[in-house]
Order: sequence, then structure tokens, then C-alpha cells
Amino acid sequence: MKVTIYFKTLLLTCLLLSGSVVFTLAIDLRELIRTVEQQYTGQSSISEVEMTVVTGHWERHLKMESWSLGRERFLVRILAPVKEKGVATLKVENEVWNFLPKVDRVIRIPPSMMGGAWMGSHITNDDLVKANHIDQDYDFTLLEETNESWRIEGIPKPDAPVIWGKIIYQIRKEQLVPSQIDYFDEEDILVRQILFDDVQTVSGRTIPLKMTVLPLEDPKEKTVMHYRKLQFDVDLKEDFFSLGHLKGRR
Amino acid sequence: MLYQLALRNIWRNRRRTLLTLSAMIVSSALLILALGIFSGMLRDMLATATEQYYGHLVISAKGYQDDRDMFRNFPMDKAIGNVLKQDEILGYSQRLRSFGLLSHQQNSSPTEILGIMPSQERTVTSLQDSLIEGDYLTSDDPNGAVLGSGLAQRLNVVPGDHLVFVTQAADGSIGNDLLLVQGIFSTGDVGHDNTLVLVPLAWLQQVLVLPGQIHEIAVKTDQPLNAAAFAEQYRVNFPAALEILDWGEMLPEMREVVASYDVSRMIIVIILYIATGLGILNTFFMAVMERTRELGVLKALGMRPGQIRTMILLETFIMGSLGVLCGAVVGVVMSFYMALVGVDLSGTLTPITYAGGTILPRLHAVIEPGNILIPSVCLLLVCLLAGFLPANRAAKMQPVVAIREE
Repeated sequence: MKVTIYFKTLLLTCLLLSGSVVFTLAIDLRELIRTVEQQYTGQSSISEVEMTVVTGHWERHLKMESWSLGRERFLVRILAPVKEKGVATLKVENEVWNFLPKVDRVIRIPPSMMGGAWMGSHITNDDLVKANHIDQDYDFTLLEETNESWRIEGIPKPDAPVIWGKIIYQIRKEQLVPSQIDYFDEEDILVRQILFDDVQTVSGRTIPLKMTVLPLEDPKEKTVMHYRKLQFDVDLKEDFFSLGHLKGRR
Repeated sequence: MLYQLALRNIWRNRRRTLLTLSAMIVSSALLILALGIFSGMLRDMLATATEQYYGHLVISAKGYQDDRDMFRNFPMDKAIGNVLKQDEILGYSQRLRSFGLLSHQQNSSPTEILGIMPSQERTVTSLQDSLIEGDYLTSDDPNGAVLGSGLAQRLNVVPGDHLVFVTQAADGSIGNDLLLVQGIFSTGDVGHDNTLVLVPLAWLQQVLVLPGQIHEIAVKTDQPLNAAAFAEQYRVNFPAALEILDWGEMLPEMREVVASYDVSRMIIVIILYIATGLGILNTFFMAVMERTRELGVLKALGMRPGQIRTMILLETFIMGSLGVLCGAVVGVVMSFYMALVGVDLSGTLTPITYAGGTILPRLHAVIEPGNILIPSVCLLLVCLLAGFLPANRAAKMQPVVAIREE
């Protein structure tokens, strides 16, 4: 699997370099989006992230560590500030749980709260659950191609359970990383933007380490995620993503 | 003399008079009862909306009631305290509100949490009367919770169970803490029963990191229907950052329901009295026709047309007054019975929530002067109107033609 992705990426790059219009039409957009959406997780990963959330009323900085395996397993725990140390989120397939060390309880997020903010940021629980399925739930078309980038439009499949009406990806050709993703609602209004910066090569992969989420309804607000440590293809088993580990007991 | 004549004429044909009278009595009595029950339903609706949740007046930061933004909070101060000293204010309650996730074991549900001081809140709302399990909060309770029956069922909790509440606090952090279920209420309003939780104000202030702040002050007055006028009065010299809203402004649909009640009351009165009026008209017309000869003789003897008209109108007026009097007495007695005892329909009907209020499954009358006055006055008017046509006819008759008539 891993090899195929690498192979395809390599193939893509070759096609790009050849610069042939005929050949670029052959790029697998779905595969490309899949690579983009999974850039931070890959097959498995361990990372340390600093998250800054700014709203009109407060600003906060969180330090978190996270683990992921495939598309369906994801665990993140807050390291700082002290008040929230140990607060953790576990996602397994379509379920999301939160652990609250203060009251020592695990809480399952009900479907009706999936649109709610995750850890007080501008990322929703739905983003955690559904982002990894974007390549399956949407159909993609190439809108524009320049020497530096592609603009790819994603329209949801007729019966896909999605929240966005349209997604437009701006992808840097050279590094195969996104520079900007625009999210539109059902009325075709741009409601959210994610910008990517600080592109670096980490454990053999080129990825943007900084991600800025802008909810456009309020220009003062944003969430910035900056990856400090990132390690791919680590040895993680499925049973690591359990409610026991969510509570921080190993 | 005209008066005596009229009285004698009424009692000459007793059966006819009694039949007409009974029609008047039954129609007005039933109308009084129906309007009383109608008012009772309306009172229930208004009470469920205001006395279970909103209060008659609400003081909050400008705009708070539109978006319920957590950051539109304020501290209680002297200026507000002075307004709350008015005589017509029966009680007020300081509240802090939060929306978040409430959870017990595997179950969780989105909720609306109201931080209150139990001793204040019970002077404004009557949730303590709707408890089906456990007890209301007490003043020294650090983390008790009283929640709606639907919510309790969904979370599968009974008094004594622990709940976790999670929300985003005012400083952006993840506010969370444990609550202990004290009581469960069931109001019949599905919205409240499924989402509302009452907790101690101090507990919620600490979870939300909003020490000393509140979102609203709910106020109960002694005249709910005058709440708008009170609000207008208090707005003079009130802090500019705050606003006072009456229940009509918070529940515009409810205000329309109250307004439409007056219209529908008139429509019912009109329909019923058109029918009753036709019956009365019929009786009086027959009575005049029957007495054509006699009226002709009276005229021949020198009675003027105006006097004949007055006499017949007097007859209808006397009968009408009698009917109204008896009808009102019977109607009030029946309304009293319905007010004191009422009919419970909860076996066959479920409560209906509409325009923010709940129509309870019961027939329960309230006695309001308007509900007795309007049917009575209308009946009397209908009576006089029904008497006017035959009176006019009698007055215009030629004595010779009238006497010859068979």
C-alpha cells in the first residue's frame, strides 16, 4: 500500500516534469487529494503540535501530542497548559471520545455534537471524523493548471454524508503539498479557509508544518497548528487506540 | 302604564316566554363557560411560558436574548437592585446560562444549563412544583442538578447519579465538572423537559470562569398582562448597556396568541348570538303578529305609534335582562365548578407546546369579568335588535286594517 502511494507520487512527479498536457490529464485527482488529506498522518505517525486559537475574547496556546494509525485511528492528548493537561481525544472510525482528567470521565461525543468545536478550536469533531474520507465522498475536477500549481474542485457525491457543499484545493505541483483549501457551504458561500506554510522535509516527506484555519464569518478568529515534531511509519498497533490509553494509562 | 302592559304581555303566553328565556339562558351560560375555559387554556399557556422559564420580565445585556452569547454578561449592581424594589415585583432571579454536553456513562446529550440561586429562582418560576422525582436544589448545595424528565431518561439517570458537564469556558478552556442529580421535573413542555438543567449559580460561574457575572435577571410581577407597561416604566434611568424585555418581546408568538384570543372571542360571541338572535326575533315577531288585532284596538283607542314601539321594546328588554341575569348566574356557577374541579384529559390527550407556551391536557376555567360582561351585554343588544323589527311593524300598522285582520 505504502509502496503504491510512493510509486504513484513518483509517477506523478515524473508526469509533471515531462510537462505534457496530454499526460497531466491522466493524473489521478482522487489519489492526489488522498495524499494531501493524509499528509499529517500517513500510514502511522507520532507528532507534537502547538495549537494557537485566537477569538475576539481570548487567545490560547496548547501543546499536544498525537498518534495516528491509518485513516480510522487517532489519539491526541494535551501536554500544556497545566489546567488542561491530560485532556485527550480518541477517534476510532466514526466515534469520538473525550477524556477529562479533572473529573476522571470519558465522554462520547453524540452525533448531534459532531459539529461542535474540538478542544475550543476552529476545527470541529466532524473534521476529525470526515476529513479522512474526503477522497471517497467527493468527485474531483481540475479547474486550472499553472506552472506552479493545480486548482482542484471537489463536489460531494449525491448521497455522501458530508458537511461542505464544495471544496477547492490549491496544490503546489513541485512539492505535491497544498497551499490553500477553500470550503464552501451548500449555498456556495466561502465559509472557511485553511492556509499551509513552512514546507519542510520531515522523515522523508515534504509537508507544510504550519496550518492556519480561518473561519471567515469572523475575521478576528483563527486557529494555527504548528507541527514541532513529526515522525511517520512508526510501530503502532490498533489496540493502542483504546479507551484505556485515552485515559493515559498504559 | 307601558311597563305594566309590557309585563302582562310577557306573562300572557308563558310557554312561549319560557322557551325564549331558556334559549337565552342556555346560550349565554354556555358561552360564559366556554370563554372561561378558553381563558383558562390561555392562562395555562402564558403561565407555562413565563412561570416555568422566562419570567414576566427579563433584564439582560443588550442583544443577549437574540444570540445568547456567553460574553454578553454583567454583574448585579445597585442601579438594577433599585429597580427590583418596586411593589409590583414579586420576585427576581439572577441566572447564568451555558450550553454544553451533559454526560452519564455511555450516554451524552446537548443541554442548556441555568445557574440559579434556589431561593431566588423559586420566587420566579414554579419548576419546584413540577418535580416527579427527588428534590429541588437547596441553597447550600455545591453541585446539585435538577433536570427535565426527557433528559433524565435519555441519560438514564435517577437522583443520586453523577453527571459530567463539558463546555467551553469564557477563557477558552474546556470547562468541566461533576454534578449530582437532585431532582427531575416534568413540565409538559418538551423543549424544557428534554434540555433544561438547573444548577447552583456559583458552580456554573466557576466552571465558565465568570466569577460574579450573570446573563439575565428573570422577574415576576403581580400583573403578567401589564408586564410591557412595567418594562417601559423601568427603562427610564436604566443602565444603557442593559435592556429590559417583557414576555411579549421575548415570545412575540405568545403575544399574538393573546391578541388573537380577543378576536376569536368576539367571533364566537357573534356566531352564537346570530343564532340566538334569530330565535328571539322569531318569537317576538310571532307575538306581535298574534296580537295584531289587539294592537289595532290600542291604536284606535289613541295610543301613539311611539308608545306601541316602546311597549314592545320594553317587553324584549325585560325578557332580555331576565335571560342575561339567569344566564350569567348559571354560567358563573358552572365556571366556578370548572375552576375549582376541572376535567382532567391527560388520559386521552398529550400536552401541546405552541408559541413557547404549553396547552395542558385539562379543562380548567378562570373567571374574568370580560368573559361574563361581553356575552351579557351582547345578548341584551341582540334582544333589543330582535325586538326592534316587530315593534316597528306594530307601530306602523293602520288601526282599521289591523282590527279587520283575522
